[in-house]
Amino acid sequence: MGRILGRILWAAISLAAALSLAAVAQSRGEPVNSTWLVIASVCTYLVGYRFYASWVAARVMALDDKRATPAERLRDGHDFEPTNKWIVFGHHFAAIAGPGPLVGPTLAAQFGYLPGFLWIVIGATLGGAVQDFVILFGSIRRDGKSLGQIAREEVGRVGGFTALVTVLLIMIILLAVIGLVVVNALKGSPWGTFTIVATMPIAVFMGLYLRFWRPGKVVETSLIGFVLVMASVFGGQIVAQSPALAPWFTYSGAALAAGLIVYGFFSSALPVWLLLAPRGYLSTFVKLGVVVLLAVGILFLRPELKLPAFTRFVDGTGPIFAGKIFPFCFITIACGAVSGFHSLISSGTTPKLLARERHALSVGYGSMLLESFVAVMALIAAASLQPGVFFAVNSPAGVVGATPDAAVATISGWGFPVTAADMQILARDAGEQTLFYRTGGAPSLALGMAQIFVSSGGGRALLAFWYHFAIMFEALFILTTLDSGTRVGRFMLQDMLGQVWPKWGQTNWKPGMLTTSAVIVAAWGYFLYQGVVDPLGGINSLWPLFGIANQLLAAVALCVGTTILIKTHGAKYMWVTCVPLIWLVVVCFTAGWQKIFSPLPALGFLAQADQLAAGPQNSTTAALVFNARLDAAVTGIFLVLVATILIDSIRVWIGILGGTRKAKSTETPFVPSRLAEEL
Amino acid sequence: MTRLWKEFVRIVAGVVAELSDQNAYQRHLEAHGAVHSPDEWRRFQDENSASQSRRPRCC
Repeated sequence: MGRILGRILWAAISLAAALSLAAVAQSRGEPVNSTWLVIASVCTYLVGYRFYASWVAARVMALDDKRATPAERLRDGHDFEPTNKWIVFGHHFAAIAGPGPLVGPTLAAQFGYLPGFLWIVIGATLGGAVQDFVILFGSIRRDGKSLGQIAREEVGRVGGFTALVTVLLIMIILLAVIGLVVVNALKGSPWGTFTIVATMPIAVFMGLYLRFWRPGKVVETSLIGFVLVMASVFGGQIVAQSPALAPWFTYSGAALAAGLIVYGFFSSALPVWLLLAPRGYLSTFVKLGVVVLLAVGILFLRPELKLPAFTRFVDGTGPIFAGKIFPFCFITIACGAVSGFHSLISSGTTPKLLARERHALSVGYGSMLLESFVAVMALIAAASLQPGVFFAVNSPAGVVGATPDAAVATISGWGFPVTAADMQILARDAGEQTLFYRTGGAPSLALGMAQIFVSSGGGRALLAFWYHFAIMFEALFILTTLDSGTRVGRFMLQDMLGQVWPKWGQTNWKPGMLTTSAVIVAAWGYFLYQGVVDPLGGINSLWPLFGIANQLLAAVALCVGTTILIKTHGAKYMWVTCVPLIWLVVVCFTAGWQKIFSPLPALGFLAQADQLAAGPQNSTTAALVFNARLDAAVTGIFLVLVATILIDSIRVWIGILGGTRKAKSTETPFVPSRLAEEL
Repeated sequence: MTRLWKEFVRIVAGVVAELSDQNAYQRHLEAHGAVHSPDEWRRFQDENSASQSRRPRCC
């Protein structure tokens, strides 16, 4: 009886997924209610989890709860510790959820809500979650080793070294692009700038409080920090309205970029307990709280999507970034569907905490589905804005015109009516001087979130508060990623230099620490600055570069995953990782090729450099030409690095499948678990 | 229902304890056979910072 009811239930869920996907896909002309997107995504996730992921867990991975995990075998009370499944789930989700799933879908909404939505749901279910799950499985079976170590042992030394260099380069581009998102959100905004600047002394205060006054009281310290941050959001309004104080917190993009670079250096060099750790605690709790708040807001208010299913920009002429729907929608969404970066988390702390092998299913696969749902919510928030407002906020002056009148004329001419007066009223309600040219995705997402929160009560008078609350929320965890990313990049560089001269590998050696911190900060700072001075707004160049890099890292992870599956089962199940791998390789190499060689200056870096070199010259032209060529070179390096790993992996696969190479797996031998009944 | 609610609260509290390093600190105390004190917390922070600062946060 129970079995029959179960089948009926799953048939109903599958039917609901199919019908709501059909409703979303078929709808044209009429506004679509976001409820359809929520039902379609949740039901698809459930079906994917129950049938596909469970099948992969049982047949492909043969997860076995009788087999002791590294957490049990290597238990040391420090890194390795068997932990409750849901606690590991929360920990893993907090580590994988960053600004990408919020910003990427917002930017990709320039194609309309439908392409991004379908890729977020399908990409996560068949690609992103599979990648996270397979790498987590691979790491559990290899003593919790990192992706780089597994790549070196399973594929070879070339693959391992290339993976390390790829990760470092990706980190640099990532930090630059998320820095640009913050700069674009704060430029000319005394309210936002005050709030974010205030979080720095608040974090230091929290660090001192936790270290000396109330040692060990992390939750208490985080609550105090949260109250202070909320006070700074209110205080920002007073600052913005004060003719004496506002100029102190009103900066250009270049000045904010310089401030961020200096901040990045100090955050990398200062003791972890003083800045990084307290900011990390605070941003994690705020992030999880706001995600829950947004989910509740969307579920209860069910906003209508005002953006159409498709816009005219599927042809590649979009104002936010250039390029056609294929491949650039898939590159832009990034972390909401597939994120190579997750493989670093799946082969980092998480495998050292899992008490049972089967927990990898909910933690590895399930967490990515939740991240994908966050991306769906961000898309809903952005798509619930009036299209004219969405494009006015996100389009750079270089595309739509340098004055508000020119901008609204251009945007209205695209069929998305908006007036300068509408934008002025909206800016005033949001507590900003202007909302034109706020590229980067964060301001339009903050507006969408603020409108959802305002609709739940408090009226329009609270729009300014919620807008700046959302900006604070986005900037807070972007800065946390910036802090920790700079430091991780520094350690990676020190590790690499330490291979040549061991002294550089000593992380407490001050000259080495300061030099490598400066190198990493200078590297991402350079790309950040070039994004700030880019006449097309920077996002057009940097976000696709980041997207390509991130998806290429996913390709590296899937190469490693495929090698593991081939060594275990031969060719039988290699399609599980090979299908998403082939898709990502095609998407990334197409996007990379177009970004380098497209004859369209808005799209191709080399064409852009040629156009700038041939046009009127001024003091910045030479730098812009150099930057465009540098971006082309970086894209080329990414493609070469991943092609190297891919070729190396294919060489190994052909050898194993052809019988000329022994399928030597580095999987640790079976040890029976004693914890089976405990957790 | 009460049992489910209690279980939910227990899990949320567990996640908060893990995210705030309270669990890691407890493990540290057990591993060193120590009891909580300001000096022990600072020792934990210093030991923990090495692994914490090598932990990337995702994009």
